[in-house]
Amino acid sequence: MMQIIFNSFLVVLLIIPAVTLVCRRGRRVRFAPSLLLLLVCVAGAIVAAFSFWRGDRLAVDLSWATPFPFALSVDRLSAFFLLLICAVGAPVTLFSISYVERHYSQGKADWLWALLPLFVLSMALVVTASTAFAFLCGWELMTLFSAALILIDGDSERRRHNIFIYLLMMHAGAAAVIASFFLFLPHANGLDFAAMRGAAAAMPTGMRTAIFLLSFIGFGTKAGIVPFHLWLPKAHPIAPSPVSALMSAVMLKTAIYGFVRFTFDFLGGGPIWWGYLVLLAGAISGLLGILYALTEHDLKRILAYHSVENIGIIYLGLGTALVFMANNSPAWAAVALVAALLHSLNHALFKSLLFLGAGAVSEATHTIDIEQMGGLLKRMKLTGIVFLIGCCSIIGLPLFNGFVSEWMIFRSFIEGSQLQGISSSIVLPLMAGVLALIGGLAAACFAKIFGVAFLGRARSPQAEQATEVARPMQSAMALLAASCVVIGILPGLVVNPLAVLANDLMHTPVLPEGAFSISRTLPWIAACAAFLMIVIAGLRRITRITPTWACGLPALDSRMQYSAAAFSKPLRTVFARVYKADRTVDVQYAQPPYFAKSVSYCSVRTTSFERSLYRPAVNGIVNIATRLRKLQTGNMQVYLLYIFLALIALLVFMRFA
Amino acid sequence: MNLAINLIQALLLIAIAPLVSGIIARSKAQMQNRRGASLWRPYAELLKLFRKQDLVPDTASALFRFAPVILFAATATAAAFVPVLHPSALFDVSGDIILFVYLLAIGRFFLMLGAMDGGSSFGGLGASREALVSALAEAPLLLALISVAILSHTVSLSGIVLATVRQDPLHLSAVYAFALGALVLVAIAETGRIPVDNPSTHLELTMIHEAMVLEYSGPSLALIEWASAMKLTLILALLTGIFAPWGMATNASIAALFLAPLVFAVKLALLAAVIAVIESSIAKLRIYLIPDFLGMASALAILAVAFTALMR
Repeated sequence: MMQIIFNSFLVVLLIIPAVTLVCRRGRRVRFAPSLLLLLVCVAGAIVAAFSFWRGDRLAVDLSWATPFPFALSVDRLSAFFLLLICAVGAPVTLFSISYVERHYSQGKADWLWALLPLFVLSMALVVTASTAFAFLCGWELMTLFSAALILIDGDSERRRHNIFIYLLMMHAGAAAVIASFFLFLPHANGLDFAAMRGAAAAMPTGMRTAIFLLSFIGFGTKAGIVPFHLWLPKAHPIAPSPVSALMSAVMLKTAIYGFVRFTFDFLGGGPIWWGYLVLLAGAISGLLGILYALTEHDLKRILAYHSVENIGIIYLGLGTALVFMANNSPAWAAVALVAALLHSLNHALFKSLLFLGAGAVSEATHTIDIEQMGGLLKRMKLTGIVFLIGCCSIIGLPLFNGFVSEWMIFRSFIEGSQLQGISSSIVLPLMAGVLALIGGLAAACFAKIFGVAFLGRARSPQAEQATEVARPMQSAMALLAASCVVIGILPGLVVNPLAVLANDLMHTPVLPEGAFSISRTLPWIAACAAFLMIVIAGLRRITRITPTWACGLPALDSRMQYSAAAFSKPLRTVFARVYKADRTVDVQYAQPPYFAKSVSYCSVRTTSFERSLYRPAVNGIVNIATRLRKLQTGNMQVYLLYIFLALIALLVFMRFA
Repeated sequence: MNLAINLIQALLLIAIAPLVSGIIARSKAQMQNRRGASLWRPYAELLKLFRKQDLVPDTASALFRFAPVILFAATATAAAFVPVLHPSALFDVSGDIILFVYLLAIGRFFLMLGAMDGGSSFGGLGASREALVSALAEAPLLLALISVAILSHTVSLSGIVLATVRQDPLHLSAVYAFALGALVLVAIAETGRIPVDNPSTHLELTMIHEAMVLEYSGPSLALIEWASAMKLTLILALLTGIFAPWGMATNASIAALFLAPLVFAVKLALLAAVIAVIESSIAKLRIYLIPDFLGMASALAILAVAFTALMR
């Protein structure tokens, strides 16, 4: 039964683009592709949920139709990520139905409904593939479809440049992934996953290290860990909001899936420095992601940087698991792995919620600059409340889902102190400090976002006239918000099957005692807090609406409010060394040095990586290319000479080889 | 029996919180050669505020009125994690040190939001500075708690307290010194006392917490004041619980149970007096020196954690 639904899930995703073509003329059937996609996502979520909770295996083999072995199979790990894709895909589709209706002409809408199912299909292909060929097909298509979806919103010079960087970095990453697959070839008979898993244990250390490093770089580029994150804040913000939600919430997770598949499933862990490398990448990504997010005012760019931060947190969990494995403590490695996977799911839920919220807000105010918003909670009640839930989840407040996974990561950090290796027992507990700092900075950042965008006075005429968005958009966001709260209060629903999955991967029977102690306490805390809140809120309070105290002046206006730039200024000053901002201040005086006529101030941050890491590399490549250009004279005789020389070189080579 | 004591100690923390601010105010006054107000004045003030109208700025949304409620509820829930009279608490679960820290973070986050809802620059100013202090204070707070947790081989507050109670006071690990230093510095920052914040200032150059609550009045202000007093009491109770838990009732005898509140009251009063001394003798730090102050706390906390491993 499940197998049939799974097969039709794949087939229907493939034919929705055709349905779009057929249905474009009729007014009655114009919702057919979107409703079909919604239905398919729900069906996929059900199949994945069954397979994830019960451990059913599903398989599809298409090798008879393809030149290389092409097969899909769903085990618990695949099912978990498939669930993640479909569970986010369904609300995103629901949201898109009215988003597309309002934003796009018929032609663009057709493109979106044709490409969106293919994008979902390619991601599903990645997480369910059981041969290298199928995996790489999905991997490439995922990049191309997402780039095509970004292009729907227009192709100005700047956007094309950003997409070029996106595609370039994705292909560099894909090269590393392909190489790490092919390194298995001398040792495994065939590139299906079972053979690779079997061959990995007997491979020489150097080969295993090479595979690990290549997959670390390849998947890290897709996941957006620092310093491979360059494309992320460029590509995500320019996509249509539902697509940004899918890219940020789901597409990045396929890289986590790939990394877990390679490092934990195939290679089965490795020496301790693997763990330290992953921890280091996680810590740097987490800290830099959040620090860069603090300085931004473009809502979608902030969220994109927060993806870098959250991927960092996931890598902290994965690195901890590797360190535990290297220290022969598989039970706690399983806990850290559960934490990392749970955080992947949580991030998918709250980040898609926040991106959809950003879409709703930008629809209502026609801007994504938070300095132009303000006071939206009064005008968009539901959007405001669900956005607040998203904020609480992402900064990891208790009773919301982000807290549960961060708690588990903290818990495994603390447990690291009990390890025999002295370096691990110092490094892991100290990582808790890094995670706490990330959490504190995230709270500051989201206080800024929510405070500036949703609270206080409207900061622009558009924000003043904002109205609530359409019902389907609201319900899509409400669904995601509800799932954040449910996982936050009853985390056992997801953690228990995840524990089974992690125990399988680590070959341990059960999670250690106390590894998940809060799951039974959280409902009580929720009950206690709810009780207190109801009691206090029930107290009789007479309220009177008055103007805000203006220090005796006639009235305040919106420009007197603290802006987002002002809010983050203290933290930016403290971390000035990290930003290395390029500031240019240009003051025109009426009578120097007094009476400034005009002041222009420009501060460019977040470019230090571009400047110090990528710029030299790009310059180097361009330099070499310029020198090589001398070879291309355009003269026919010279090319004949090249051929002749090559022939002679080959003959000489063949003679002595 | 245990449940009753746990409930009583949580309620006790909530109830005596205003008294602690009363003691601090009184001792400060006496340090400055004033007679000072009655110890019970904070209660009278709360009562007065609860009877008043709530003035809500016309720009504010519903969140403005809800923020104090959430702040109070979260802080009161955090009170249920702190062992006071005996080494156990209402919510006693492995890993609660993280929960405790993050429950306090809920209140802080919503207070920042409430401040920004007022629509004046003061609220944003206070929230922005609070964001600076709290973002940098979270790491040392958690690391210091983790270091003592590692020493006592448990991850729950009551487990930590129990482990300290059972130790010989003369043979305590040196890690405690580092952790104590870090926690004291963080406690000052978290509760907004001098030299990080001045609770009695209304000068916009210096205020942090006061700037955030500037628009609040009536019952909302009462809830905020009560919650901040409670937070101070919780952190002081945590300090005494972790570093000087002697005097707690380790068995259920009547004598021990009667002695425990008395000993706790004495310890709390002493700490309050120490705060008064510090506040009367030190000037407030410039805002950009606060990161250095918290950097010191972080360094101590990092040393504490590193030493737990090195001294095994």
